[in-house]
Amino acid sequence: MDRIVNEICDENDLKKFQVLYQEQVKRGVVDEKAQFEYAWCLIRGKAHSDTKKGIALLEDLFRRIKEDEGKRDYLFCLSLGYTRLKEYEDALKYAKALLKVEPENRQAQSLKHYIEDKMKKDGLMGMAIVGGAAIAIGGLVGLGVALTKKLN
Amino acid sequence: MNKRKEGELDLKIVLLGKAYAGKTCLVQRYVNQMFTDTPYQNTIGAAYASARVKVHGKTVILNIWDTAGSERYQSMSRIYYRGAKAAVLCFDLTDPESFDKARYWSGELERNEPNCLIYLCGTKKDMVDIEPGSRATPVSQVQSLARDLRSELYETSSTTGEKVNEVFMKIASDFVDNIKNMPLEKPSTDSFRISQPSDGQRKGWCSSC
Repeated sequence: MDRIVNEICDENDLKKFQVLYQEQVKRGVVDEKAQFEYAWCLIRGKAHSDTKKGIALLEDLFRRIKEDEGKRDYLFCLSLGYTRLKEYEDALKYAKALLKVEPENRQAQSLKHYIEDKMKKDGLMGMAIVGGAAIAIGGLVGLGVALTKKLN
Repeated sequence: MNKRKEGELDLKIVLLGKAYAGKTCLVQRYVNQMFTDTPYQNTIGAAYASARVKVHGKTVILNIWDTAGSERYQSMSRIYYRGAKAAVLCFDLTDPESFDKARYWSGELERNEPNCLIYLCGTKKDMVDIEPGSRATPVSQVQSLARDLRSELYETSSTTGEKVNEVFMKIASDFVDNIKNMPLEKPSTDSFRISQPSDGQRKGWCSSC
């Protein structure tokens, strides 16, 4: 899954789909295809700001498009986008939404597993930081007590 | 994931073909040695899997990009086949349109990735074995495309596993042979041993993504 999550879209590809999309924006009619392709590349952009833009375009598509056909693809991409941003709560929400429709979807299962793994590691890291801070504070208090005693 | 170690070779392989041609099943069969009879699901964008094989004394990491066959992703496929050294063009032996699509992909690759070797792969061979009348495209027609593309032709079954390993081993072995024949490759450390007892054996596998 690492490969999929960390995949970077080539800048020329991004440009190509950006031009197509913007052309349609100027004409005032953006079709699903152009918006999806541009969002697909943006999600995999180098900068987090690109990924965020891609997520916004996909969330817009999700609301705008009536047919269900592409929605599973949007859900996966949204989950992937939030994973890249390390916003795991939202990432998990979308992966679970896709698994609700397709419980046996291997790509969604792998992504969910990846997200949960990251969350667990982050949780442990968080605990380590809190633990570390507690020790540090404990140390400072100890030092303070020692100093007070000394001064007294 | 199979991370490349010193002295190992990296090979990018892409699978292309019409939706429901059996690309994902082929990769699953090869990488996980299994065929799951779950309901059909369109691949979203592209999935990735890797395998480590030993061929002609060289260890090669196969980086396999299993692309989505649905039209939705057609214009984005270039992102995935760019730089691939080998392409497996899959077509369902029982679906005539899927052979047309394989032909389409061959043209696309010849134009954009002339150095990418093509391997034609007719899938669902077990179905043709059971019901010979279900073969959609005459063998002669398939063979002539293969000749035209100077490509290898395989008929595989992911259900039984028939010829699946052969496809990927041939790709790996052609890749190593090609490197060997390239005069400008760095010498000495990359010397080749002709035969190894473990030749052709998969050394490790990785779950797909």
